[in-house]
Amino acid sequence: MAKVTLETNGEVCPFPLIEAQDAMATLTGGDELVINFDCTQATDAIPRWAAENGYPVTDFSKTGDAEWSITVQKA
Amino acid sequence: MLISGLFVGIALGFAMQRGRFCVTGAFRDVWVNRNTRWLSAFLLVVAVQSVGVFALDALGVIHLQTPAFPWLATIVGGFIFGFAIVLAGGCATGTYYRSGEGLVGSWLALITYALFSAIMKTGALSGFNTAVRSVTIKENNFYQVLGVSPWVLVALLAVGVGLAVRHHLSKPKLKFAALPASRTGLAHLLFEKRWGAFGTAVVIGLIAIAAWPLSWASGRKDGLGITTPSSNLVNYLVSGKTSLIDWGVFLVVGILLGSFIAAKGSGEFRVRVPDATTVLKSLGGGALMGIGAALGGGCTIGNAMVQTAEFSFQGWTALVFMLLGTGVAAKLTIPKRRSAPASTGAPARVLSNA
Repeated sequence: MAKVTLETNGEVCPFPLIEAQDAMATLTGGDELVINFDCTQATDAIPRWAAENGYPVTDFSKTGDAEWSITVQKA
Repeated sequence: MLISGLFVGIALGFAMQRGRFCVTGAFRDVWVNRNTRWLSAFLLVVAVQSVGVFALDALGVIHLQTPAFPWLATIVGGFIFGFAIVLAGGCATGTYYRSGEGLVGSWLALITYALFSAIMKTGALSGFNTAVRSVTIKENNFYQVLGVSPWVLVALLAVGVGLAVRHHLSKPKLKFAALPASRTGLAHLLFEKRWGAFGTAVVIGLIAIAAWPLSWASGRKDGLGITTPSSNLVNYLVSGKTSLIDWGVFLVVGILLGSFIAAKGSGEFRVRVPDATTVLKSLGGGALMGIGAALGGGCTIGNAMVQTAEFSFQGWTALVFMLLGTGVAAKLTIPKRRSAPASTGAPARVLSNA
């Protein structure tokens, strides 16, 4: 069960989500992907993408002003 | 009452920031993710506003007019604008509200957008702009050409958009991960709660309706608009002529303020400096946005959201060509997703493997 961190701070949408999708494709079931991002729109887009793909979100937190971290598990 | 423009702008900037209402994202999703959820929300704004606009017209509060249709400039300008918003990372309004969130890339795009709209409208390129915009046809309105009441089209649009919205809302309810709530009551509703695409669209549609009589009362006979006010703002700043400050100038300043209030209030404001590539894309995208919007006669708001609600040829033509421009830019600038699992090795920006 690997835990991989993807750092996308400074990238504007849609790139945080695109990189998350790419990173997810390289993981195997049960692995967790931690996505750090600071694009406001991704607070909508990333949880939606996780839900639509049936990936459980094991953590979602605001880490600072306009900074978030979400952990998505590959199902 | 020019000051009402400021309040409408604040409401609009606030709603867009909290609702994550991004027209660029809406257009881009159609091509990148084959998803029409945000485009449907955008058209919901048009439909809501359309009802209000024709009601106000029928009541005699406003009087809609249909100038000739500058078809060539609308097609070229719409396409350029649609292309540019992908580079700039936001349309004109999106750039205003992202500036209020502290994104320096949007500050740069905003500056070149406003500057180039002024260059095109009143400056060095105004001759070129006027020449292209002088290619017109007289007909510029669906209901006049079809010889039907505008309410027929309002009804058709409402039904069409209603079906699209129902399609998106009837999907199996997904459970989204949400941030833990740290506030209650109104503060939670305004600064924390997820607004949702369609709720936000209704709020923005109502703001767009309110803009009409308020702007009209000040002598500016139009609804929401971003490009001409941005050009006026630049002209005012360099000439000092206070006559250039109209309702629209207050509106665009208000968007910036409203988005700042929303972002600050929800802990989403931070000055964020982009990398060199993004700086160049923002500067170039902003300039092309100014050129495209001036040529086409409006941005995603003035043309694609307001003119469409009036059922003008200009609005719908601009909307179609903006969508096409966005599609071409998305194809060129957004890397295609790698679909085969584990075929391309580790993702490039992974920092740690634990």
